[in-house]
Amino acid sequence: MKYPRYEYQTESELHFFEFTSVGIRGNVKKIVQYSRVSIDNIYNLAFGDYDETTDQINDQIVTNNGDSRKVLATVVSTVYAFTGRYPDRWIFATGSSEVRTRLYRMGITNNLSELKKDFLVYGMKRNETFEEYSIGQDYQGFLIRRKNKDISL
Amino acid sequence: MKIEELNNAKIPIVKIDTELERFRGRELFPKKLALAKKMLANARLPKHPTEE
Repeated sequence: MKYPRYEYQTESELHFFEFTSVGIRGNVKKIVQYSRVSIDNIYNLAFGDYDETTDQINDQIVTNNGDSRKVLATVVSTVYAFTGRYPDRWIFATGSSEVRTRLYRMGITNNLSELKKDFLVYGMKRNETFEEYSIGQDYQGFLIRRKNKDISL
Repeated sequence: MKIEELNNAKIPIVKIDTELERFRGRELFPKKLALAKKMLANARLPKHPTEE
C-alpha cells in the first residue's frame, strides 16, 4: 500500500505490534497481534484499540478517528514485517462483524494488484473453501502468504 | 530518515520495544482467535502455485 502509515513498535518475536492513531478523537493506541491457529503455520491477524487503564483490547469499537486508511496501511505494513521474519507462515484475517469484513475486503480489492506482487492472496467463500482472490466475491475471510521470499526487513 | 521516506519505503522499519514483551504469552483477541479457529476447522489450505 502506498498510503501514509504510522510508525510502530514490536517485540522481539514480531507477534505484537503497537502504534498510535492520531486523529479527530485524539490519540488512540492500537495493538496488532498475530496468533497461531491450531492448524500449523496459520496465524490469525487481529487488531484493535488498546486501553492502557484496563490493559484490555476493544476490537468491537468504531474509533472514528478519521484515519481508517492510514490505520489499515499500518496494519498491512506489519504483515510485511511479520512475513519478512516468517516467510512460510499463512496469515488469516476476518472481521469481527460483516461490516468490518466488507471493509477489509474493500481494502484488499483496492490494493490487489500491489498486494499480489508480494503475496498469494486467497478469499474464503461461505462454504469454507479458499479460492484465489477475485474482485466482487463476498468472501468471509482472507488468507495470504508471502510470494517473494527476497523481501527482507 | 524523514517520515515521508519512511512511509514510502516498502521494507518496513521495525523498532523493537522491550516493553511489548509484557504481552508475550497473552491472547489479546480471544474471540477473534476462536472465530478464526472455527472458520478454519474444516478448511483446507489452498494449493499455491509455484512462486514467481
